[in-house]
Amino acid sequence: MKITICIGSSCHLKGSRQVVEKLQELIAQHDLQEKVELSGTFCMENCQKGVCAMLDGRVFSLTPEQTELFFKEEILPKA
Amino acid sequence: MNDLCADIGYHSINKYGEELCGDNVQVVESADNSITIVLADGLGSGVKANILSMLTSKIISTMMAEGLKIEDCVETIAQTLPVCSERGVAYSTFTIISIINNEEAEIIQYDNPPVIMLRDGEEYKMPITEMFIDGKKILRSHIELRENDVFIAMSDGCIHAGVGESLNFGWDRKEIVSYMETFFDVGFTAKTLNTILLDECCKLYGGKPGDDTTACTVRIRKREPMNLLIGPPSNRDDCNKMMSLFFAKQGKHIVCGGTTSTIAAKYLNKPIRAVMEFPDPEIPPIATIEGVDLVTEGVITINKVLHYARNYLEDNESYTQWSYKHDGASMIARLLFEEATDINFYVGMAMNPAHQNPDLPINFNIKMRLVEELSECLKKMGKRIKVSYF
Repeated sequence: MKITICIGSSCHLKGSRQVVEKLQELIAQHDLQEKVELSGTFCMENCQKGVCAMLDGRVFSLTPEQTELFFKEEILPKA
Repeated sequence: MNDLCADIGYHSINKYGEELCGDNVQVVESADNSITIVLADGLGSGVKANILSMLTSKIISTMMAEGLKIEDCVETIAQTLPVCSERGVAYSTFTIISIINNEEAEIIQYDNPPVIMLRDGEEYKMPITEMFIDGKKILRSHIELRENDVFIAMSDGCIHAGVGESLNFGWDRKEIVSYMETFFDVGFTAKTLNTILLDECCKLYGGKPGDDTTACTVRIRKREPMNLLIGPPSNRDDCNKMMSLFFAKQGKHIVCGGTTSTIAAKYLNKPIRAVMEFPDPEIPPIATIEGVDLVTEGVITINKVLHYARNYLEDNESYTQWSYKHDGASMIARLLFEEATDINFYVGMAMNPAHQNPDLPINFNIKMRLVEELSECLKKMGKRIKVSYF
């Protein structure tokens, strides 16, 4: 499974670093490093909906606060 | 014409408690491809010294740049400087370094500590001829320049550093030479070498300089072109044109901005890989594209670079940050401030609709202003700048 987080200007200002760090932490906590690949991308051309994230071709809009919920609902069940 | 150029850095530290500096440095470039640098140290300190040194350096640099003879310059100085009421003399010592065509240097000295010249890592004793103008003993040297030659001109505040405090007789010129020799091979820029010297002076003075302390460092180096691309073109059809012009240029290539780097990656037909590390939490991560030397985010990164550039022109204190860090802004700073001598900016004028949000501290006008201000700062560092808009 591959999650891509946008780290462009807008998303950065909206907290993409916190999102990335939270996900890194959660992935490590659940020992999913082998199953989940976390990567970054520059602009996903969806800036108004930042922080943009892509999971298996689907686009999500995250905030640092929603990250844990996103992880539990979208990643954990499938991993 | 060779491919050498002069990298010049200078700075003054005021005598403790003084608002104004009694030393002054002027750099004038003239049309015939020569550069004249004058370091003048006015008698005394404060306002009087400030005026004396400013007049001296301005008059000499202007006259020399116009091709007048040194004899005429000195005579003019002697006749125009206001006479000090306390001491009955009009007096300002000076050092002139004149670099002609980046091939030869003419060094003229009057009563400042002798200029230090480093070649191949050690002091090079310049051949000196004496001449008398208006009863003043003037020392003159002529040097054929080589790559990596370093010249250091100083006011006497440098060699007096620490007198009676940390050192009995101040910082001996010989000691300064061996101190500076140790930094020769590192490849520091003139500005950095100069900062290293002045920092040490300030330390010896215990942070309270007993005299105005000024140094000016000149380093002869090869020209190094650098190209920086930021922003997509206002007309989408111009993408290919902009990219082909940019990538055709000699020198390293820096690409800034999310959309911009996506366009560059498409043009080069290479994948773009974000590096998921945050060495500086404020600065978005960098990325890599094969064929591009550095890929970074746009506005936030450049804003930080501008911040570093402004500080570079002041006391250069943030050097301790950008000189080693691995975030995008520090890396750009190193490439632009240290490595490059000629910088081409390729600026795309497209508007990013997401940036026009009043809640965000970035917008189109800010981006344009950032590039303008950054290129102004770089010009002040002595770089040749060309900006092309698309």
